[in-house]
Amino acid sequence: MLNLILKDILIQKNILIIYIATIILYLMVNVSSVFIVFIYSIVFVLSAFSNDEKDNANILLNSLPYTRKEIVSSKYIGTLIFTGFFMFYTYLFDFLLNGKEVAVLWKEILLIMGLVMIVISFILPISYKFKTKYLTIFMMVLFAIYLVVVKSFFPNFNNLVKTVVQNFMTVQELQLYLMISLLIVLLYIGSWMLSIRIYERKAF
Amino acid sequence: MQIIISNSSKEPIYEQIYAQIKKLILTGELQEGQSLPSMRQLAKDLEISVITTKRAYEELEKNGFIYSIVGKGSFISEQNSEMMKERKMKAIEEKLLVAIQNAKEMDISLAELKAMLTLLYTEDE
Amino acid sequence: MENVIELQHIQKSFNSFQIRDLSINVKKGFVTGFIGGNGAGKSTTIKMIMNLLQQDSGTISIFGKSYKKHEKEIKERIGFVYDENIFYENITLKDMKRIIKPAYKRWDDKKFQHYVEQFELPLNKNMKTFSKGMKMKASLAIALAHHAELIIMDEPTSGLDPIFRRELLNILHELMQDEDKTIFFSTHITTDLDRIADYITFIHNGEHIFTKEFYKIEEEYAIVKGTLDLLDRETEQEFVALRKTNRGFEALTANKHRVATVFGDTVVVEKPTLEDIMYYTKKGW
Repeated sequence: MLNLILKDILIQKNILIIYIATIILYLMVNVSSVFIVFIYSIVFVLSAFSNDEKDNANILLNSLPYTRKEIVSSKYIGTLIFTGFFMFYTYLFDFLLNGKEVAVLWKEILLIMGLVMIVISFILPISYKFKTKYLTIFMMVLFAIYLVVVKSFFPNFNNLVKTVVQNFMTVQELQLYLMISLLIVLLYIGSWMLSIRIYERKAF
Repeated sequence: MQIIISNSSKEPIYEQIYAQIKKLILTGELQEGQSLPSMRQLAKDLEISVITTKRAYEELEKNGFIYSIVGKGSFISEQNSEMMKERKMKAIEEKLLVAIQNAKEMDISLAELKAMLTLLYTEDE
Repeated sequence: MENVIELQHIQKSFNSFQIRDLSINVKKGFVTGFIGGNGAGKSTTIKMIMNLLQQDSGTISIFGKSYKKHEKEIKERIGFVYDENIFYENITLKDMKRIIKPAYKRWDDKKFQHYVEQFELPLNKNMKTFSKGMKMKASLAIALAHHAELIIMDEPTSGLDPIFRRELLNILHELMQDEDKTIFFSTHITTDLDRIADYITFIHNGEHIFTKEFYKIEEEYAIVKGTLDLLDRETEQEFVALRKTNRGFEALTANKHRVATVFGDTVVVEKPTLEDIMYYTKKGW
């Protein structure tokens, strides 16, 4: 199954360079790193997903010695890995370019991971159930919103995000964190199981 | 071992192979104990399906011309010349009976038949 | 002789089409040609064999095992060549290999290299640039590189030129030297099967019509031609299907010997092609 995750990277290896380059660009204009990691992680996972849908790659994958469970699981586990990957790079460059301190890092990591997990929990089962058309549209809309928002609310949006993140950082209750984390994890696992069920019934 | 098959002949391919190998054995070109190519090798050489050569080999084995050892292949059987002669005699007998039948239908006498036989037999000499 | 594929009483319904009580066995060590007209159920059957879709009822066993319990094990041993493209278009064959290789335990890089060279496939060009024939060869190279024991081919030669089709047959002949390999080959170009098929499985309208040794088909089936006066209620029963014209009739029989006894010398009896069998079966349905 690890190989399936590597596959997702391999088929996007050319675009990966563009991703990293644009991350650097956005960091240079001070876009919130939380926002960057959030968007890029989701876009990456969903691109990989849509690549599998076109070119009948699904038929290839299901003809290879992989179970349907493995194929779905590679997306869910891959999401966590890719998010981690983007986090690493974004923070690295943020530090190099903007000298950002990595003080309250773990809370940010939790925030990003949590947000990504929530979004993916909803998008993946829907994408497995319905056609990728909707997925591509969703991605395009997301990106359009992002660009439009950046253009029109450029400084404000970033500050807004940063303020929200700041507020989040100052919440101290450990118990609250744990409960929310637990809920998100449960949501993610629930979505994972649902996706497996949907995918196992699929006909190619 | 040279074998030529015709795709356009009325005779099924396995029969053509059977007949040709049988001939090679009876004329002595294939010696007792000699090994035959595997049915798969032969199929590949002749560009036909394996089941065809398999059938041909099965027929040859059924009629005592070859025998097979699992894992080793197929080999030419000892051709007992007494048995061969007996077989040939039988075949000749059958053909002669047909000739006689035909002759009787057209009122051709035994003498005429004998004459024809002598003529044909000595023709090649 | 064991069966590599066993389909037993398979039912599968779609909106417009049904496969009912389909039972097929594919013998190990031989090439089985799978024929049937368009819409007869060939692709559906192959998809069920590959577990790409599930049957409504009935069992499928490959190498004596079921997909429920042994999916990975079974697929390790199967090589597949499909009619449609299944490669990621924007990567190279080299990258495709990188993706596929780790899926198989028995991957043999040397063998892959050997076939890539023999088939003259470029490793560093995008799959997008590959012609249909090249894609088919790539699939085959992959199938052979992991020592697949069963090779499933769905219309592998459609859209390919005759020279190429001959080359493929040579490759298959070479492959069949190994008695542990089995090929299951669906096609509607029946002439391709004349040179390589050991068994023919004929499917029509979702039903299994027959599976026979190739030579048995010409022993049992025949095209019968004769004058119209020879036909009556009883004699027409001898045929699978009949075509009457002003000049006479042409029919397919599944029982050549009976026709010989019933009609004797009054008719012309000819060897049928697989196409004839498919055509007349469809007519007579």
